Amino acid sequence: MDYQNILTTCTYCGCGCNFFLEVLDGELTGTIPCKTSPVNEGKLCIKGWNVHEFVQSDKRLKRPMIRKNGNLEEVSWDEALDYTAARLKTVKAEKGSDAVGFFASAKVTCEENYLMQKFARAAVGTNSVDHCARL
Amino acid sequence: MIEIVRQKAGELLNQGKIKGFIAPSRENGHVAPRLFTRVEELSTLNLGDSSSEGDARYPLDKILITLHRKYPDDCFGILVRGCDQRGLYTLYRLNQLNPDRVIEVGIACSPGLAKACECLKPFPDDAVAGDPVAPEGQKAVEMVEDMDMAGRFEFWMDQFSKCVKCYGCRDICPMCFCNECSLECKDLVSKGDLPVDIPVFHLVRAMHMADRCIDCGLCEEACPSDIPLRTLYKKTGRIMDEEFGFTSGINKHEKSPLSIMGPAPDKKGP
Amino acid sequence: MTNGVAELEHSDVIFIIGSNTATSHPLVATRIFRAIENGAKVIVADPRKNQIADFADQYIRHKPGTDVALLNGMMKVILDNGLHDQAFIDANTESFEGVKAVLEHLDLDASAATCGVPVEQIEQIAKDFGSADKASIVYCMGITQHTNGVNNVKSLANLAMLTGNIGRASTGVNPLRGQNNVQGACDMGGLPNVYTGYQPVTLGAANKKFAQAWDVDELPSGIGLTIPEMFSKIESDDLHALWIMGENPVVSDPDANHVEKALEKVDLLIVQDIFLTPTAKLADVVLPGASFAEKDGTFVNTERRVTRVRKAIEPVGDSKPDWEIIQEVSTRFGYAMAYESPGEIFEEIARLTPSYTGISYERLEGEGIQWPCPSEDHPGTPFLHRDGKFTRGKGLFHAIEYQPPAEVVDEEYPFWLTTGRVYAHYHTGTMTRNSESLDFEVSQGFLEIHPDDAKALLVNDGEPIQIASRRGEITTRIMVTERVEPGVVFMPFHFEESNINKLTNPAYDPIAKIPELKVCAVKLFKAAS
Repeated sequence: MDYQNILTTCTYCGCGCNFFLEVLDGELTGTIPCKTSPVNEGKLCIKGWNVHEFVQSDKRLKRPMIRKNGNLEEVSWDEALDYTAARLKTVKAEKGSDAVGFFASAKVTCEENYLMQKFARAAVGTNSVDHCARL
Repeated sequence: MIEIVRQKAGELLNQGKIKGFIAPSRENGHVAPRLFTRVEELSTLNLGDSSSEGDARYPLDKILITLHRKYPDDCFGILVRGCDQRGLYTLYRLNQLNPDRVIEVGIACSPGLAKACECLKPFPDDAVAGDPVAPEGQKAVEMVEDMDMAGRFEFWMDQFSKCVKCYGCRDICPMCFCNECSLECKDLVSKGDLPVDIPVFHLVRAMHMADRCIDCGLCEEACPSDIPLRTLYKKTGRIMDEEFGFTSGINKHEKSPLSIMGPAPDKKGP
Repeated sequence: MTNGVAELEHSDVIFIIGSNTATSHPLVATRIFRAIENGAKVIVADPRKNQIADFADQYIRHKPGTDVALLNGMMKVILDNGLHDQAFIDANTESFEGVKAVLEHLDLDASAATCGVPVEQIEQIAKDFGSADKASIVYCMGITQHTNGVNNVKSLANLAMLTGNIGRASTGVNPLRGQNNVQGACDMGGLPNVYTGYQPVTLGAANKKFAQAWDVDELPSGIGLTIPEMFSKIESDDLHALWIMGENPVVSDPDANHVEKALEKVDLLIVQDIFLTPTAKLADVVLPGASFAEKDGTFVNTERRVTRVRKAIEPVGDSKPDWEIIQEVSTRFGYAMAYESPGEIFEEIARLTPSYTGISYERLEGEGIQWPCPSEDHPGTPFLHRDGKFTRGKGLFHAIEYQPPAEVVDEEYPFWLTTGRVYAHYHTGTMTRNSESLDFEVSQGFLEIHPDDAKALLVNDGEPIQIASRRGEITTRIMVTERVEPGVVFMPFHFEESNINKLTNPAYDPIAKIPELKVCAVKLFKAAS
């Protein structure tokens, strides 16, 4: 039996509410707003209260895919990562650094955005990195 | 007070009487609800107090329901204030928990918290710590009762129209355990728009809380629009008391007058 | 936001423009409801009468895309009545003369006619705002998603500086950020012109500093492409590979048909996401990322507060946290990355970013920290520009004149279309529509239309309607409501099966490159049921 409440920050709007994700034996069972959060003081909106639902949706992507003969087919991580890196390398070599563009994301963490722009700038050599701040 | 609770919880764990003890805990610079399963974890135990007494209370009874549903044969300990215990008594009555699988460790609320909450019994039966104080009256309800009917109606309609339909009043409520919720019944409450269907949404909920609300106040604290829900349900509770002499969760073995199902006793049923 | 969310509770006047606060930022609405309880006056300006407008002292229904006309009108009244803060202007700002000249020559009646608001109402809100001790401005995408979005924002900055409502608690210019970590993505240099903490890529010193820290000989010093520019470069055969992480432009971007064509054309499309979105369906490679519940990290909220994200469960299936995916691709690409944890990445960020220098995971326990936080003993910064000390030195006024939207209604397309969110859904619905409870609340798209217009079109509430713009056409059902005025229709953009962004206008602001999602012209006709 393993029951835990993990304090985290909401993934929806910019309010940045803090809540606990209830985890029972490795599965999310609920969301409890954090009362001592200076942002939401123990309150949430309907989206926040139900945030645990989409995480364990059956429709989540579970394996990498590569388009083969027009269809997306599941492949191993090794194959997907090698393929991605190799294709990017080819585009850079043949068309130049500025032939590659990157969408960072307002939905992933700071650390992940940082790595994305670091890869774009330091490895690929382009400043063409943007995200949906405008949308 | 906190040392007595730690000691009591520690004993229960050591003696193997419980699988875990449910109580708030100081973690990550916050107060979080927690299941303590080992004695050495109890150093972070907290009574639901952050910057003031009782400001970080969580629906511990609701967590117990979650655990009981998956582990019905295991026994759990739980920290209870007066309201939490009223909740347990109500959940025993409604067959959501088995009293043989629960060990309550009760604490009485201070005069300050009792005054802020205005609940009818700011202490549990058999408190292990804290000095029970008498209830503090119900000024919040009386303020509404002092309004004339038109004023009251306007007051509540104004309050309800702030609702952003988060369902937080239901979701935080330790007494809301139904699989099917009347608030989601399309024939009762229209959906899909804001403001919420008023006053139907809030009155449907108030009706359903009539013999259940234990006056813990978590709903009002969870409301993003600061609707005085606790006052609304206190009033519902008052009506129950006046009409039926019933107060939810005050007496461990009392049945609800609303739980009589089927035909009236003088008629023969099918 | 220049100021913190909780400060709103203590404002005397809150001016909300282009924000459906109760729906899109409910926990900001909490503070506004409390401010009302505390006696604050609330002014709401929005072409659509949203829920918070019901609680406003003054509700202004201005025409879509006429914000500058309204704001200039307000500022003229403030100036003419001597309600401006000359001492603040003299001490802390520059270029006020230009604004003054525009306002002195402004014809208030003409501005009122442009925005469709009676002169008396403009005078009233100007006086309420101008005479407040502490006035806060709150705005959202209703201000920014216009071809003159930058001018709209600058006009709000003008209004705040004109009345000295900045640099103090419970005042300020407060954009509500729509996405949980849009602030963080900007702070981290997820933009074509800056590194972390807004250090320009064009600045030699910054360029050199990052090249050294990242152990490369040189870094590109020219400004990169924005999203709309990337789509154009795909069309012109200049961009051949695109890596999209956690975005769904097929649904979120204007003129969706056009976006789809570009994504089909690009030689290599890599999409990293948690669901098979309409965008991911077009990809050559799909990389399954882990959701926020399955990894550690940080988000930055609308008030610049950095807080922790903590792993609650293991990644679903074989999905991986996005940082691990990027790191692995980078290493295989030939640029090795070997971070052990997000915490290690955060330490690197703090080292390279002046406004984050004093932040560490350890210090983020508890309430988090609002940047700038330049040192380990700095408590963070609840509100910016304290005592009128602007980041750039003096606060700069911009003289701005009204310009109409890129597309206006005409005989062929006689309705104004504006778009937004509903309470139960979020952005393109990737997450919320995969949540049973939320999909139950609102399961399909709809078009809000005034009863008079519905009657004229012979369509009843709940019946289907066809909507067309110069760019596309969709069918949806109507919701008859007086929330919108005659001639204006509203539709949420969460629903891929009735994707309103097939109709919206991709024309964008020349500076911010933000598309004009909030105004375009459409026609409506009864659809076969």
